[in-house]
Amino acid sequence: MPLVQTKRLHKFFGKNHVLKGINLDIQEGEVVTIIGRSGSGKSTLLRTLNGLESIDDGTIEVDGTALVAGQGDLRALRQKVGMVFQQFNLFPHLSAGQNVMLAPQVVKGTKKDEAETIARNMLARVGLAEKFDAFPDQLSGGQQQRVAIARALAMSPKVLLCDEITSALDPELVNEVLSVVRQLASEGMTLVMVTHEMRFAREVSDKLVFMYEGRIHESGHPQEMFNNPTTPEFANFIRTQN
Amino acid sequence: MAYHFDFNFVPDYAGMLAHGIGYTLGLTLLGGTLGTLIGIGGAISRTWNVRPFAGLYRCYVELFRNTPFLVQLFLIFFGLPSLGIKLTEWQAAILAMVLNLGAYSTEIIRAGLQAIPKGLIEASESLAFTRWQTFFYVMLRPALLKVWPALSSQIVITMLGSSVCSQISAEELTFVANFIQSRNFRAFETYFLTTAIYFALAVIIRQALAAIGRYAIARRPQA
Amino acid sequence: MMMTFTLWDIIRNLAISGLLTIVLSVAAFVFGGLAGLAVLFARISKIRAINASARLYIEMFQGTPLLMQLFILFFGLSLFGLDLPAWLAAGVGLTLFTSAFLAEIWRGCVESVPRGQWEASTSLAMTYAEQMRHVILPQAMRMAIAPTVGFAVQVVKGTAVTSIIGFAELTKTGSMLSNATYQPFLLYSLVALGYFILCYPLSWYAQRLERKVHAPRTN
Ligand SMILES: Nc1ncnc2c1ncn2[C@@H]1O[C@H](COP(=O)(O)OP(=O)(O)O)[C@@H](O)[C@H]1O
Ligand SMILES: [Mg+2]
Repeated sequence: MPLVQTKRLHKFFGKNHVLKGINLDIQEGEVVTIIGRSGSGKSTLLRTLNGLESIDDGTIEVDGTALVAGQGDLRALRQKVGMVFQQFNLFPHLSAGQNVMLAPQVVKGTKKDEAETIARNMLARVGLAEKFDAFPDQLSGGQQQRVAIARALAMSPKVLLCDEITSALDPELVNEVLSVVRQLASEGMTLVMVTHEMRFAREVSDKLVFMYEGRIHESGHPQEMFNNPTTPEFANFIRTQN
Repeated sequence: MAYHFDFNFVPDYAGMLAHGIGYTLGLTLLGGTLGTLIGIGGAISRTWNVRPFAGLYRCYVELFRNTPFLVQLFLIFFGLPSLGIKLTEWQAAILAMVLNLGAYSTEIIRAGLQAIPKGLIEASESLAFTRWQTFFYVMLRPALLKVWPALSSQIVITMLGSSVCSQISAEELTFVANFIQSRNFRAFETYFLTTAIYFALAVIIRQALAAIGRYAIARRPQA
Repeated sequence: MMMTFTLWDIIRNLAISGLLTIVLSVAAFVFGGLAGLAVLFARISKIRAINASARLYIEMFQGTPLLMQLFILFFGLSLFGLDLPAWLAAGVGLTLFTSAFLAEIWRGCVESVPRGQWEASTSLAMTYAEQMRHVILPQAMRMAIAPTVGFAVQVVKGTAVTSIIGFAELTKTGSMLSNATYQPFLLYSLVALGYFILCYPLSWYAQRLERKVHAPRTN
């Protein structure tokens, strides 16, 4: 049984059919990278996986928690699925440490001391142990994004979703974030990411998913896919990427 | 005993109500126009620190924004005659409306001028616009456009506030309502109807101002 | 009966009535703030009927003169056997008026919290109430302080309108003294000065807060 499984997932925005029957299996510990042109539905797919977008048909199952055509325990699902956003979305009124502590305390009822221990560990894990008391506007973009990763990890999710998490960063800050992701991958974290960093995707991914017009057009092992693209759309996409 | 609503008085007083509505609209139209002009003058003086107007405007704005309209009205209508300035009800009401709105619009328009990016002004200067051209085309129009919603709200607020002009016997809508209810002893119906009329006026004025904003200031024909 | 007033008598009487103006303003602001909070939650509720009613409530108070609202309360309700004394009509009227305006000001603040804040807290499995309490309201409140203080000025000025239904606050007292002394210019100038003393510090403080909110953090 895969850790994450979607079956015949459909999503409409009004008349716009954005996801057209997505079947996706993600095994525990797997690193999956979703690529595709802008507007192909990558973000929408990720957002449905933790219930930020409702689904119109199909099922999502994560570690035994199921959503069937939008019905199910969203709170349980979201506790198992962490998410990191392109724009960081840190809480500006809270320090880095408080950003990380908030959800464990509020959602899981973790005691304050314990939440603080968790937060310190998570910040250390992303290399920001000394920034516990800093506020978001005192941190660089790369640091903010690492706090956002720590914040998601503090809920001990089964799977972490990363939607273009380096796209809003200045080029010199991209690597510090990617190396955190690389480290998470090597520790066995299940990751689903959308990225334009093709080299990075090839390096860390166990599985590559190419989306095209709301469908999974092609998927497989990254090296093999890059070496022998089987569809002209994917071949075309690779060409335009570099 | 149940109270029975009775709106039968309305046709008898329709003419008076129309007079009151016209009076209120007149106050609003004149007050709005002249008040906005004063505001433009004030915003210019304050933005470029034109002496001595900048200082005078500053005092004027603070005085009028920090005292009630009703008191301003009383001071003008009852107080000024002791200084030898005697105004009719209509003149006093208009003057109070203009001065009150002028104070608010000065601050509103000034905020709009301040929001114009410096680069735009430099760009137009580099195109050899005169100072006046730069002001009119590059600053005033975009500034007015930007603050038009705020200015429109303020005009509507001022229109609603003009209701207290009844207290100096200016024959606006509330004055008419007071007169009617003193005749028919139907206070609730009379004030209810009057309130509804004010509400309708507020909606209409807001729409009209929005239309002016779209066509006259934006000069953007129907998209 | 003819009475003579010294300037000192006048100022003392105005000062006493000024206290009534302050009490009425504070009461309207406090109770209006509490009611406004309820209206705010109704206004941002996702339940159609509730938010539509809140919207209607706000538009009714924002779209009609305060004086009419007071007249309806004071004269209108007496026809239904509800005879409100002037001070109560003034208090209730101003409270309702304040609640509608504050709710609308605060709604603007809640809505200006970026969508990403909702999304991030949603993705962390927070419920609506938890998001409101820990993420949205703290940020909205920070933005709300300056305009809320600014609106306090409108409340103080609004109390002047209650003189028309006979509440003997500053303006009403000024009018009565003016009639007794035949010195309208002096009286209304003093009344205006009284309001200015109450309002100007609030305006000044609101402006200062406004600037502070837009300034970057310094620590
Ligand atoms: N909130 C939304 N409302 C309406 N349409 C949306 C919304 N979000 C995304 N879309 C549309 O869904 C399609 C897929 O968008 P998205 O998933 O963001 O693509 P990608 O992340 O691959 O660039 C696009 O056509 C986009 O315009
Ligand atoms: Mg996207």
